[in-house]
Amino acid sequence: MKLRRWLFSILLLLSLPVLAHKASDSYLVLDIKGREVSGQWDIALRDIDFALGLDRDGNGEITWGELSARHGDIAAWALGSLSVRRGGDCKLEVADHLVDSHTDGAYAVLRLAGSCPAGGGDLQLDYRLLFDLDALHRGLLRLGLDGTTQTAVLSPQRAQQKFAAGEVSRLEQFGQYLVEGIWHIWIGFDHILFLLSLLLPAVLVHEARRWRGVADFHQALVEVLWVVTAFTVAHSITLSLAALGLISLPSRLVESAIAASVVLAAANNLKPLVEHRRWMVAFGFGLIHGFGFASVLAELGLPQETLVMSLLGFNLGVEIGQLAIVAAFLPVAYALRATLFYRRVVFVGGSLATLTIALIWFVERAFDLKLISA
Amino acid sequence: MVPTVNGAPRKPLDDTEVLERLPSRAGDASSRELAAMRAAMTSAAGNPAPAAELAQRYFDLAMARGDPRYVGYAEAVVARFPDPLPASLRLIRGLLRQYRHDFEGALGDFAAALAQDPGLAAAHAWRGAIYLVQADYPAAQGECDALRRLGRSTLVGACLGLVQAYGGQLETGNRTLQQALANTTDPGSRLWLLTRLGEVAAWRGQAEQAERHYREALATGVEDGYLLAAWGDFLLDSGRPAEVLKQLAGWEASDSLLLRLAEAEAALKLPGAARLAKMLDDRFAAARQRGDTTHRAEEARYQLRLRGDAWYALRLAAENYKVQREPRDARILLEAAIAAGDPAAAQAARDWLGKSGFEDARLRRLGQESALAVRR
Repeated sequence: MKLRRWLFSILLLLSLPVLAHKASDSYLVLDIKGREVSGQWDIALRDIDFALGLDRDGNGEITWGELSARHGDIAAWALGSLSVRRGGDCKLEVADHLVDSHTDGAYAVLRLAGSCPAGGGDLQLDYRLLFDLDALHRGLLRLGLDGTTQTAVLSPQRAQQKFAAGEVSRLEQFGQYLVEGIWHIWIGFDHILFLLSLLLPAVLVHEARRWRGVADFHQALVEVLWVVTAFTVAHSITLSLAALGLISLPSRLVESAIAASVVLAAANNLKPLVEHRRWMVAFGFGLIHGFGFASVLAELGLPQETLVMSLLGFNLGVEIGQLAIVAAFLPVAYALRATLFYRRVVFVGGSLATLTIALIWFVERAFDLKLISA
Repeated sequence: MVPTVNGAPRKPLDDTEVLERLPSRAGDASSRELAAMRAAMTSAAGNPAPAAELAQRYFDLAMARGDPRYVGYAEAVVARFPDPLPASLRLIRGLLRQYRHDFEGALGDFAAALAQDPGLAAAHAWRGAIYLVQADYPAAQGECDALRRLGRSTLVGACLGLVQAYGGQLETGNRTLQQALANTTDPGSRLWLLTRLGEVAAWRGQAEQAERHYREALATGVEDGYLLAAWGDFLLDSGRPAEVLKQLAGWEASDSLLLRLAEAEAALKLPGAARLAKMLDDRFAAARQRGDTTHRAEEARYQLRLRGDAWYALRLAAENYKVQREPRDARILLEAAIAAGDPAAAQAARDWLGKSGFEDARLRRLGQESALAVRR
């Protein structure tokens, strides 16, 4: 072999991770309800051409005519490299041939239909498409099994996979995101401080420029419910919008705005501007906090295919964490509401402390400084 | 990416509608050659020689065209043979493993190939390249020495020149690469050496010299993604985004070059910038879906410069730096750490700067700036 090749090779290693185009993927969507199977399989025309040869006239172009002439061969080849088992081999057939385009070119779309011997139990899948020709090929599977959605990447190393039927896996995934949601609100001091700043005055009323305790628990509870509900509704909206990719804001802006919201909420306790409609404040700033939750969710890597379920779990987790805070806070605050200790130390002192911390956060986040945190 | 979410499957009405253009025609020279090589491999079942040749050819094609499908083809060819592989196939498996950033696996393959065939210069060259990426310069130096013992002078020059340049001796490295350049007429080798000379000159702050090298490399007429990326970066760093657009026009298919194009459009505040950024976003999403983590450095750059998300960029750059520690990897880590206000996260890059003595003024400045921020 020639010297040039080795040199060329070193160049390549040191070069950027060249991926250009895209490695070969097929997109397999299977929906199995009981015995009945339906689905869709998108396979790149380039891959089909490499395996079967589609370009009959050799002009480098694949036309619909060239493709449709080989539909029978393509169906046999594809179905021959996929087996689905539920209580035995499921019989699959290609019900229709269409085309579609993905980021890297045109794909043949095979509409699948079929039936399995059993209407329940685990599902076994064996995927071998193209593996003998292209070891980097991957089958990206989205499987709906009796209403629960699961995803998997099928590779030569993991060509055979088993999927559990029933609620377990869906519940597990849901539960996992639920716990993440709870965990996040507990470690997210900015969210807790914001909420507390709005809750601190809930057991008080501001009259004649003085604070005094509310008359009954019902009054405090209603106020808390309004605030918490408004906050929840607002951050659920933006969390969903951001998680679904409909809106995205730079994280620095979001984090700074969250800090600013805590500053304003605490300041409002010290010098009230908004007294009766605190739920509106909760709603307005809740929109910002939702973006903050979304960035955590993005970090966790939301599974695209079970997006809604995971989103719901995460959101619910955040609510549970929030309610736990409220449940711990409200009885104590209510009991102490009439004391000077609550009004001076907890309310004024707490708001002042919150204001200070949040101001530092704001400066750190907005101007990229490190003041207190390591 | 999932068809039923985004796609709109349709049934064309016209038989003559062109759905796809293949990268090569069935009748052209390279695909005839590939077909012949495949046939040779199939008919010589069990004989590794034609298989190794075909796999190498696929790999070269993948690099030249920036098309990873050929990497998969090469891997499938190698997978036809059971372990233990003969030296020729072992070498190629190492090459494919390093492509996936499985550097340990690749080093194992190269070591085994060398045990079987001590004269395998390529295995030494590749090992040297991996050690360079891992910033293990003494080990890389060992591979250059091995190449010298094998009498591969151009390879020695390339290997040594980079060890010197990365290791804090830009001027010596420059001389070594120049010498190697003077001793070869092969266009591929010249292109490679000129590209690296361009980078070295840019690190030394000699912009005019760098531009001369890059232009000479472009004049060889060999199409090369790495050269175009390095040239594009040079132009972006020099505040000449308009030239990037001209030079890289039509290269959107390559992710690396698409990134440079998008940065240039953004710098010029052109309306098309958002479209290019969206394309990049889709590509990274597709890679993530496959579980592919080899483009984190580029994605970090995208997040930092085009999305303005310094924190996410920092996470990506830090992950990448655990695997790859070349100057460009250090740079994106430092930039992201500074932008995210978390300079402590770039400690590894500062350690490298301190230990290697790498001389690029820009990187040293970034290192100092982030070090100051840590102390504050």
